[in-house]
Amino acid sequence: METESKDIVSEVFCDVLEKLAYMFGESIPKEDFPGTGADYVQAAMTFSGPMTGKLTLAVPRAMSVEVAANVLGMEPGDELVETRSSDAIKEMLNVICGHVLTAVAGEEPVFELSAPTLEALDEANRVRMLNEEDTACFLVDDHPVLLRFSWEELSKLER
Amino acid sequence: MAFNILLVDDSATVRAVISKALQLAEVPINELHHAANGKEALDILDGHWIDLVFADINMPVMTGVEMVEKMCQDGLLKTVPVVIVSTEGSATRIDQLKDKGVRAYIRKPFTPELIREVVHNIMGVQNGN
Repeated sequence: METESKDIVSEVFCDVLEKLAYMFGESIPKEDFPGTGADYVQAAMTFSGPMTGKLTLAVPRAMSVEVAANVLGMEPGDELVETRSSDAIKEMLNVICGHVLTAVAGEEPVFELSAPTLEALDEANRVRMLNEEDTACFLVDDHPVLLRFSWEELSKLER
Repeated sequence: MAFNILLVDDSATVRAVISKALQLAEVPINELHHAANGKEALDILDGHWIDLVFADINMPVMTGVEMVEKMCQDGLLKTVPVVIVSTEGSATRIDQLKDKGVRAYIRKPFTPELIREVVHNIMGVQNGN
C-alpha cells in the first residue's frame, strides 16, 4: 500500500470503527504490533471497477464479539451477540470497503463488491499478513488489528 | 398511522440495526418483515401490504437493484417506496438507482435521526402524527 493510500485507509478505518461500533482505533508502526496468542478471524472481500483488489481485516475473535455487541446495542455475554459476531465483522468490513473506495477513487466510479467472507486466521498467516507491505496495523481498544488494502488500477492490469 | 415495513439485507445484523434505528427514531410500526435477498422480498411483497422497503444493494440470489427493477414492472409494487441502505458512495450509482425509482439513499453507517428524516420525507408523517 503506498503511503498516501495507506493513510487514507487508516483514517477511514478509524472513522468507520468509531461511527459503526463506537470503538477507537489508532494506527501503530508494524514494529510495535504486539505479539499475541489470541485467536484471530480474517474477513475479506474483493472489489472490481476502475481499480480491482482486495480488502482484508484480521481481528482477535474476542474483538468480533465486542463489535457485535456495540453494533447491536447489547451486552457481550448475550447469546445473540456471540451468534452474530461473524456477521458483524463481515458487515464492518463491507462498510469500510465502501468508504475506502470512495476516499481513494472519488464518487464517480462504480465498483462491484463481493460478499465478505470470514475464516479463522492461524498465527503463521497472521505473521505473513503483518509482513505484507500493504498491511496497516492498529490498536483498537487494546486489540491488535491488521488491515490490508491491495489494489491495482485497471489500466495497469490491461497492459 | 403505523407502517408495514420490509427490511431486505443478507446480513441479519444489519436488519437488526435498522430495526433498532426505526425504534429509536420512533417510527410507528405495525408489521416488520425481514428478507435476506430481493427474491425473498418479492415473495413477501406478493403476499403482504408493505408501506416502505429498506433494501441493501449487494445480496446473493437477487440484488437490491434487480428487486427494484422487478418492482417497477408491477403496476402495484412500483408505487411502494424503496430506500436503499448501502455502504456504496458512488454518486453515479446513486443517480442510477434514483432513475429506477428508488426514493432515497442512506449510506452506512447511519443514525436514527437520518432514518427518521427519510421516513418523514417519504411518508409525510412523523412520530405517528
